Amino acid sequence: MLSRLNDTPCSGDPAEGPHGAGTTHGQAGATPDHGGVGLDAGERQIRERVAAFEELLGDPHEAGNPFGNAALLEADERGELSVEAERALAAFRLNDEFVPRELGGNLDRIDGLARVLRPLFRRDASLGLGYGVTSFLAAIAVWAAGDEAQRGRTADLLRGGGRLAIAYHELAHGNDFVRNEFSARPDGSGGYLLDGRKDVINNAGRAEGLVLFCLTAPPGQRGPRSHSVLLVDTAGLPEDAWRVTDRYRTVGVRGCQVAGFSFERCRVPADALVGRQGGGVETALRSFQITRSVVPGMVLGGADTALRTVVRFATSRELYRRSVLDIPHAQATVASAFTDLLVCDSICLAATRAVHLLPEQTSVYAAAVKYLVPKLLQDACYNLSIVLGANFYVRDGDYGVFQKHVRDLPMVSLGHAGSAACQATIIPQLPRLARRSWTQGTPAPEALFRTGGGLPALDTDRLVLAAEDDALVASLLAAADRLEGPREAGAELAPVRALVRALVAELTRVREECLALGPHDRTAMASPHAYALADRYTLLLAGSACVNVWLAQRQDGGDFLADPRWVVAALTRVCRHLGLPLPEEADEHSEWMLAEVLGRYHEGRSFDLYDTHLAGPLVDDEPAAARH
Amino acid sequence: MPAVTPLEAEYRDWLVTRLSGYLRRPENDINVCIPFSEYGMDSVAALSLFGDIEDAFGLYLEPTVAWDYPTIEALARFLVRAGSDGAL
Amino acid sequence: MVTTPRRTAPAGLDWPLPHPSWELGARLDRELGDPADDAGVHSYQESIRLDEGEEFPAEQLAALDLWGLAEYYVPAQYGGRLTDYQDLSQLIRMLARRDLTVAIAHGKTFLGAAPVFLSGDHAAARRLARLVRRGARVSLGLTERTHGSDILAGELTAENHGDGLRLNGEKWLINNATRGRLLSLLTRTSPTGGPRGFSLVLVDKDELPEGTYRHLPKLRTLGIRGADISGVVLQDAPVGADAVVGGVGGGAELVLRTLQVTRTLCPALSLGAADHALRLAVGFAQERELYGRMLAELPLTRHTLAGAYADLLLCEALNTVAVRSIHALTSELGVTAAVAKYLVPSVVDEIVADLGGLLGARSFLADHYAHGRYQKLARDHRIVGIFDGNTMVNLYSLVVQFRALARSFLAPADHRPRLASLFDLDRRLPEFDPGQLVLVSRYGSSIMGTLPAAVRELRAEAVGRPALARAAALAEELDRTARELHERIATCTSTVGDAAPASFEDARRYSLCFAGAAALGLWLHSHQAAECGPTGELWRDGLWLEAVLDRVLRRQALGGPARLSAPAAGGATETDLSERLEARLIEQYQRGSLFSLLPCPVAEGPVSC
Ligand SMILES: Cc1cc2nc3c(=O)[nH]c(=O)nc-3n(C[C@H](O)[C@H](O)[C@H](O)COP(=O)(O)OP(=O)(O)OC[C@H]3O[C@@H](n4cnc5c(N)ncnc54)[C@H](O)[C@@H]3O)c2cc1C
Ligand SMILES: Cc1cc2nc3c(=O)[nH]c(=O)nc-3n(C[C@H](O)[C@H](O)[C@H](O)COP(=O)(O)OP(=O)(O)OC[C@H]3O[C@@H](n4cnc5c(N)ncnc54)[C@H](O)[C@@H]3O)c2cc1C
Repeated sequence: MLSRLNDTPCSGDPAEGPHGAGTTHGQAGATPDHGGVGLDAGERQIRERVAAFEELLGDPHEAGNPFGNAALLEADERGELSVEAERALAAFRLNDEFVPRELGGNLDRIDGLARVLRPLFRRDASLGLGYGVTSFLAAIAVWAAGDEAQRGRTADLLRGGGRLAIAYHELAHGNDFVRNEFSARPDGSGGYLLDGRKDVINNAGRAEGLVLFCLTAPPGQRGPRSHSVLLVDTAGLPEDAWRVTDRYRTVGVRGCQVAGFSFERCRVPADALVGRQGGGVETALRSFQITRSVVPGMVLGGADTALRTVVRFATSRELYRRSVLDIPHAQATVASAFTDLLVCDSICLAATRAVHLLPEQTSVYAAAVKYLVPKLLQDACYNLSIVLGANFYVRDGDYGVFQKHVRDLPMVSLGHAGSAACQATIIPQLPRLARRSWTQGTPAPEALFRTGGGLPALDTDRLVLAAEDDALVASLLAAADRLEGPREAGAELAPVRALVRALVAELTRVREECLALGPHDRTAMASPHAYALADRYTLLLAGSACVNVWLAQRQDGGDFLADPRWVVAALTRVCRHLGLPLPEEADEHSEWMLAEVLGRYHEGRSFDLYDTHLAGPLVDDEPAAARH
Repeated sequence: MPAVTPLEAEYRDWLVTRLSGYLRRPENDINVCIPFSEYGMDSVAALSLFGDIEDAFGLYLEPTVAWDYPTIEALARFLVRAGSDGAL
Repeated sequence: MVTTPRRTAPAGLDWPLPHPSWELGARLDRELGDPADDAGVHSYQESIRLDEGEEFPAEQLAALDLWGLAEYYVPAQYGGRLTDYQDLSQLIRMLARRDLTVAIAHGKTFLGAAPVFLSGDHAAARRLARLVRRGARVSLGLTERTHGSDILAGELTAENHGDGLRLNGEKWLINNATRGRLLSLLTRTSPTGGPRGFSLVLVDKDELPEGTYRHLPKLRTLGIRGADISGVVLQDAPVGADAVVGGVGGGAELVLRTLQVTRTLCPALSLGAADHALRLAVGFAQERELYGRMLAELPLTRHTLAGAYADLLLCEALNTVAVRSIHALTSELGVTAAVAKYLVPSVVDEIVADLGGLLGARSFLADHYAHGRYQKLARDHRIVGIFDGNTMVNLYSLVVQFRALARSFLAPADHRPRLASLFDLDRRLPEFDPGQLVLVSRYGSSIMGTLPAAVRELRAEAVGRPALARAAALAEELDRTARELHERIATCTSTVGDAAPASFEDARRYSLCFAGAAALGLWLHSHQAAECGPTGELWRDGLWLEAVLDRVLRRQALGGPARLSAPAAGGATETDLSERLEARLIEQYQRGSLFSLLPCPVAEGPVSC
């Protein structure tokens, strides 16, 4: 069964870099940031949608705005999602983003999906997950494995503003979801009888449709073919056979309605089965490849706001007769956080585009990005919290959103697959990849690293459970070759060259250690050393993504992203995270990066690869004291 | 203003040189009558001065000496006295 | 070297406690009742309920008053029971392992009262002592709405008026500002300010005329949600001349000297939080089944738990030496306190984060697992790195002392304080003399100074005891690292004021070396005695020392925190170390002891399994 999410041909049209200066400020204009000339239709649509969304979200500092900081903080305090905000998202038809274009929605590019949702995560992860993404996490199983009727029903539900909940996990089994016990037994007449509990499920109590991961094999025959995915319409369920259990309160994403449900001999019709009976694990693992790739790219938005909030504090707070931002250490922390965001966005970009371009390799990249990005973002936010000092600890007021984003962030590293589980997905694949791709191997097509531009249609059938090849590592080697060759011989590139060399040397070491991994390392009994290797590997992927994004931009002639300084800063961060001795040429370019941060802060542009225009007035440097 | 003795001038010059290094400012930018704090030397940093002076001149001083004599002029004058008292 | 007769460890659980301070902490814990018993006032359940409702833990504080905790805030010379700061540190630690909100809300009185007790103003101290012992709460008011670390920017003024002073201005973000009766306020007494332009004023709100002060609303905070974090506004508030403590113009100096003592006690809060987090994580790992095994069997889990335990012991060793140095090395407390106040909360933040990863979804649920205690302690603990001198302030105070620190390490002066009692847990400490507190240590750090000789001593011991070989090798590496570091900071710190980011990184490394030196000194001087005690296995063959030095060096090698997962070279020995250490961790857990170098039962009692 072939499932295509779009039919846009790979245009090969080199997208223009996203660095055009946002010229319209003062009010949220619907004008897309970048001229849009020479863009293919898909890319133009994404940009327009992002701009329109940002306009809808409005000025975050405006008191009455339902998407403003004050309103979102209050909703978080109450543990609710704002009705007004949800209504506005429905009117915006946000759910269209989750429905494939051929079914009437907007979904055709996974990188585009991350970009469109990012503005919402910049405001509030509770809305991002609770209104939006949860439905997508559920629907993807239907898009990947459902039949025409199920796809049609699901599309209609979402496009009509409805919700889907997804119940893969059971609290008792966590990441080891193959041991799940929630069962669906054949009822003798083609349908199923559902029995058991699912706990800690987002929107459990208010979704019209449920995607359930169930044990369908008889007890005692448990294995990779013992589970199936069912799509259930809650309105059609016999009332006395199921109920929603109590809500769980959470530290972060407090607005999300997390609860559970309990079924007792609850009859569902035969057409509930999604895909084959016994195909549940495979459907789940395929769906995860898409969802794990795309969610980190959305969540990046929360770290953008955390950084923006600290810049706001540091430019206005006075200390020792100057602003906090005059303190060199604070400057360096801000600059490093921005660099880390670019590193994260580079790997997010490669992972989301890999779903289209390298589906056979996505299983590793999805786990890598899901592991690495939340970790880097949490570390960056920790460092930023030190600059915020006591104001980090205060829940309301000017900087209250910071602590909210810090509380929300861990949800992303927990939700469907914790860090260790992601590493555990990577580890068994390392020896093979090391042997096959880490010395030679085919580099990724350049389109993988473009910040825009068309992509081949998504074909979920090409997503496989173990990667055959590792083009992202091959691209690191290719970049090294290119930098050593005559084409990039300039002396100004010496630092990039030295840093890439350092990464290649690290790759050689990681490779040797991967080849030496023992058989026990392929199981949950893997040594801590194997987990450490997975960690280092993901950082090497991030390094590859950064240098190749930069090379692609050089080709396309951008300005900020084509400048070698950002990539030197990014690779320097990567080397630091790896704990490598820094080559002499390494440089975080703090001053230059800080200037970029301040420019974007004052002009209202995003802290990511896309440099998009944000809603709200220009930021002036009014000292904090004057506001009191 | 009383005349500046050669010893006091020596202390002053030494302090000017030191401060210009610490504060990354040219020597002729440093006015001996302006408190250290005006140059961005905070109170904690000022405490570290006593050790340098002790080292250079073999005096024994209280760590808070730069708090009590917060300009080069005052500090140099105090150091002359401290030196002749054999410090403490 | 050992002065008291050795004890031998009796069989069974009821060992005689070798250290009176740990024993005192255990007694407090026992008398507060089993926190797992939901019915108790001091139960986990109750803590969570108060936190959720942002309710002040009034009942808990009253019970602590009844227990006599405040007696330990008052120096014996003023009628209290504070003779040994280790007592106070252990009491705070035991309270904090249950509930940081309660520990901070009650302990704040010590922070508020300390400047008065250390000022040498006996009349004021005696007056305050009476009130504190009767349960009056005292706040410390340094911070203002627009001024934090820069205490000399404060705008609350105290002007002469008749026989006394009149206070005008606001203090904000103050613990117990509303509920407390007394406030130690740093006030501006000279319009031009400066280091001699501030004075400490002790205000008794009960004696202020009505209308001369009002409270600012309680702030909603990320953690310690029940605490009274508020503020106070004074308007022509009259106080007598005797309210000025430490002399007019002496406020900044008094505050900075006092902070040396209080900053040495704050890490006890972190130690308690780390114990709490680790106890939750071990419990979870032992009961959680995953992939057909217990989570506690997975090598990664064991590695994470052993690492957190080693970090906790590192913090405990550093803190033990630091608290003892209040008595035994008072004149260098400016360095020691900054190291402890920076390093311990930062490392414990890492411990808490790592263990949160282990708890997975349960770390995120507010009340589902183990009352939701993890998420509370994780939020609560972040305050420890912020108040009473934050991370940057402490690192900065090391940076400005770099030249002196390097000088005294590389070319030690003849001056050598006697440090045996500092490191020997079996020795009595000299009485604390606040008069010896100085703002800047004249001779750098003698604790750091012991490193080269201590390394030689350990190497000599290792000659006859191969089990010590790895610890000795690690110690030598630490010595090399420390030397390089001092050589670097001797040359590259020619500026003050705007310290370069690299200097803060060096200050971080300095703190780590310092902690290693403290641990080494502690082991060398105390292991003979401790090996006979109930925690002897931790001390034997330098087990904890090796683990702790390993953590120190790993952090040295890495640019920043975390990423400690990568085992260093020498794989097999290291797994072995981690496993031996983990065995001790599990033993302490099951016996119901504090995770500690010294024996100390916790009120939950042994864990049946
Ligand atoms: C819950 C809570 C309770 C509190 N209770 C009290 C109390 O009871 N009494 C009281 O007086 N205060 C109290 N405070 C205030 C607290 O002690 C101060 O706010 C804190 O010590 C420092 O101030 P700041 O974080 O506001 O940072 P600021 O001093 O405004 O500094 C801002 C940032 O600048 C950076 N920075 C500062 N100094 C340096 C430096 N030298 N070098 C490099 N960077 C630097 C830091 O990153 C810092 O975070 C409390 C705060 C909280 C949150
Ligand atoms: C707020 C919230 C909302 C949620 N919403 C949903 C939802 O809508 N739908 C849904 O299906 N689920 C949902 N979940 C469930 C969540 O996705 C699972 O709970 C989670 O993925 C795994 O469970 P766990 O944290 O209990 O981890 P466990 O798997 O039990 O992990 C516990 C420990 O084991 C370690 N571990 C796990 N695997 C390995 C390994 N391979 N190797 C070594 N160590 C390992 C972990 O690091 C951790 O230390 C939600 C959870 C939360 C907190």
